[in-house]
Amino acid sequence: MSAPGADRPGSGAAAAPPARSGPGSSAADELARALDRISRVRGMRGSMWVSADDGLPVAQLLMEGVPGRAVAALAASLVRKVSGSAGAVGAGRVRFVQMEAAGGTLLVALAPPDLLVVALADGRVNVGLARLEMMRAAAAVAR
Amino acid sequence: MADDVRSLTAALARDPSSLRYADLAESLRRRGQRDEALRVALHGLARHPQHADGHDVLARIYSDLGDLDRAQLAWGKVLELAPEHPGALKGVAFVRFRQGDARAAVEALERALAIDPSDEAAQRALESMRRDAPMADLPTAELPTAELPTPVAPVPAPPVPAAASPEAGAGSAGAARPSGAKARPAVFSGFDRATADILLLDERGLVLAGGLLAPNGADVSEVAAAGLAGVSGEAARTAQHLALGGWRTIVAEAESANLVVAPVGSGALLLVRRDRSMPVGLALRFAERARGTASTWLEGQGA
Repeated sequence: MSAPGADRPGSGAAAAPPARSGPGSSAADELARALDRISRVRGMRGSMWVSADDGLPVAQLLMEGVPGRAVAALAASLVRKVSGSAGAVGAGRVRFVQMEAAGGTLLVALAPPDLLVVALADGRVNVGLARLEMMRAAAAVAR
Repeated sequence: MADDVRSLTAALARDPSSLRYADLAESLRRRGQRDEALRVALHGLARHPQHADGHDVLARIYSDLGDLDRAQLAWGKVLELAPEHPGALKGVAFVRFRQGDARAAVEALERALAIDPSDEAAQRALESMRRDAPMADLPTAELPTAELPTPVAPVPAPPVPAAASPEAGAGSAGAARPSGAKARPAVFSGFDRATADILLLDERGLVLAGGLLAPNGADVSEVAAAGLAGVSGEAARTAQHLALGGWRTIVAEAESANLVVAPVGSGALLLVRRDRSMPVGLALRFAERARGTASTWLEGQGA
């Protein structure tokens, strides 16, 4: 995996340490820890923090070959479209979007006011677990 | 559709100055190949800058891409060239509506209908907008819709009624329809809230079957269909760029409801809205069943 824009605190199957703010813990560290936890979900090919407004990556942890900028831009655009539609059908603010395709799944959790947690996974992914980690990460930065 | 693209491409190759570029761009747009459609439209308009239909196609492509400002400019250009162009008037109405300016949208549709009173799509859209105008006139900031900066259709976020309701199976022949629901083919007969929470639309954002009701009972199917039309193309573009193959479903968990959107057959789109109390997995299964029903029905229609 490559992690431009974010320091990655190692990888492996062990449980990730809880993300915790404190002395010596920067916001970037916290974002990186969240990506690390998400990346440990089986089937995950990459995860990123994305600016909701312009679809640019803020921090990312991707397998080789995953086009980070494209994932970020497309995910932000899709969420904008879905959010507009949700407004049109009276569903209110969107919190989580998952697009399942034949070759994988794109997952997006909204982290108000201006970030998205985006994950790209293959067909083996445990969507429920990925969703939990992503919503947890989104809630942490929204606090 | 693929044959259309091939034959139109061949026609353009034979005669690069042909106006068929607009047809080719439109065919590509409908297939979800919007970047290619944009390239063809811009190339054609470079040769034919006064071609109103070319600008009309360009506007639709921009609209699909979510670039409403450019879409509005392009439709404005159409109306400069052809002030009574019905497609452009409806396009302007769509953009203004998405921008939350219901009054301007209604005015544009009234102009379209003054030119062609038999335009049923414009009639339906106008009826729908007039019905929702009091809500539409709310300042955008008061609308509890999406948190991202996006054009919002002016329907406030309501609490969605519980899944179990007296309207269950309302699409069946002889069953009572919810008061605001319009008569449409009873495709989802037997499904819970068949004409209140399940909507089948085509790629142009036109309602095919089912229905969607607001909490006040108003039928918001057409508004919703117009808003959903771009989702399919966006999903196709995303899946294509990320080499994910064909997309199957989009699930959106929102404050008041969970939505499942799925492609049906060639170009149709299914929306299922379920109360938040229904688990997402169950909503997906429900939507899958509805998709099967819709697919069978569309095949029966020869669609």
